[in-house]
Amino acid sequence: MSSTALYVLVAAGLFGIGVYGLIIASHLLRKLFAINIMGNAIFVLMVAASAPLDGRPDAVPQALVLTGIVIAVSATAFALALMVQLYRVTGQASLEEDPTEDD
Amino acid sequence: MTDLAVDVLIGAGLLALAWQTIIGKSLFRGIVLFVVFGLTMALAWARMGAPDLALAEAAIGAGVTGALMLVAFRRLVRIRPEQSAQPALRRSRLALPVAVLAGSLVAVIGLAVVAVERDPAVAGQAVAQALTDSGLGNPITGVLLLYRNLDTLLEVAVLLAAFLAARTVFGEDEARSPTPSRREVPLVGALLAIIVPLTILIATHLLLAGSREPGGAFQAGAVLAASGVLLVLAGRLQPAAGLSSWPALGLTLGLMLFSLIGLAVMAFGAPLLALPGLWAVYLIETAMMLSIAMTLVLLFAGASGLRRGSP
Repeated sequence: MSSTALYVLVAAGLFGIGVYGLIIASHLLRKLFAINIMGNAIFVLMVAASAPLDGRPDAVPQALVLTGIVIAVSATAFALALMVQLYRVTGQASLEEDPTEDD
Repeated sequence: MTDLAVDVLIGAGLLALAWQTIIGKSLFRGIVLFVVFGLTMALAWARMGAPDLALAEAAIGAGVTGALMLVAFRRLVRIRPEQSAQPALRRSRLALPVAVLAGSLVAVIGLAVVAVERDPAVAGQAVAQALTDSGLGNPITGVLLLYRNLDTLLEVAVLLAAFLAARTVFGEDEARSPTPSRREVPLVGALLAIIVPLTILIATHLLLAGSREPGGAFQAGAVLAASGVLLVLAGRLQPAAGLSSWPALGLTLGLMLFSLIGLAVMAFGAPLLALPGLWAVYLIETAMMLSIAMTLVLLFAGASGLRRGSP
């Protein structure tokens, strides 16, 4: 197995873990972990699956991913502010009616 | 063979860290593991031949995100210390099948892309050729500032928008509870005296090296922000209410300068945002670095301004 295929599979695994976490987490901070892991999975996929040029990696997908990393931090910072304010107003950092209730 | 073994180790580490981050018992542990996950991602980028991304991930993805998550966690605990958000993981019968399907979908798409007979990467090849005569040795910086500069401009705008949105949501509560000055700890002053100048030096190096080697405005801005975060933590910079002039200038400098130069070239008949030369690249990168650092520090401090604290 080549390194490229390996990193594609790692990306798939990370994405799956992210989706799982997004569903089972009730605390919003955990949902943010999950979303960030999913984002990282897509970044890995984009870079791993791009064709190298004469043995050197392609600069265009890397530049796009670099932009993506900064955007991800911006979105996370905003989401964290929303979460803290939600906690301040409602007393819970979760979107469920009763976070302890099992369905 | 050894190469593949290293990749397997990094890949397995990434998956294990991600899993532990998701299902870990305590939130604090989750944040720490997430930071470790980010640093392992940086290793993976280095292995994939993307040193720029490795720097960005270590500084921005792991460092800044981790600091922002920790400070948000501290605010949660401070608001209601008694129920400091002990998380309950929900049970869901659907979670596992959906996650497996989503992961498989990514695997199938990714493996299909890898398996397809590739065309030579047209854009990448054009960049590699064009950059040899532009003087920019680092193709990533070249793409970001010469070919996809609208993306880069909007990226700085998104960072500013995120800051403004966070301020709008958050109000000014945090500014009223200043960080205590750590005067009683004797080593803090000496530590700051070493680390802060060193950080500024590293940031400047990353910025200047960014035209030839891995580095650039975003990595440099994040490293510079780290020294600001340190000063806030030590109480040397205090959050202040209200937007005073120099933080406001710092926040918008990158966006303003980039837009101004991008628009000014149109007067000389060049297309929008066609940068006139290397000096413009350096100027814009410097301004962006300052803006990014200022935005990140203010996001961390949870305030719209900073003032000097007592030493």
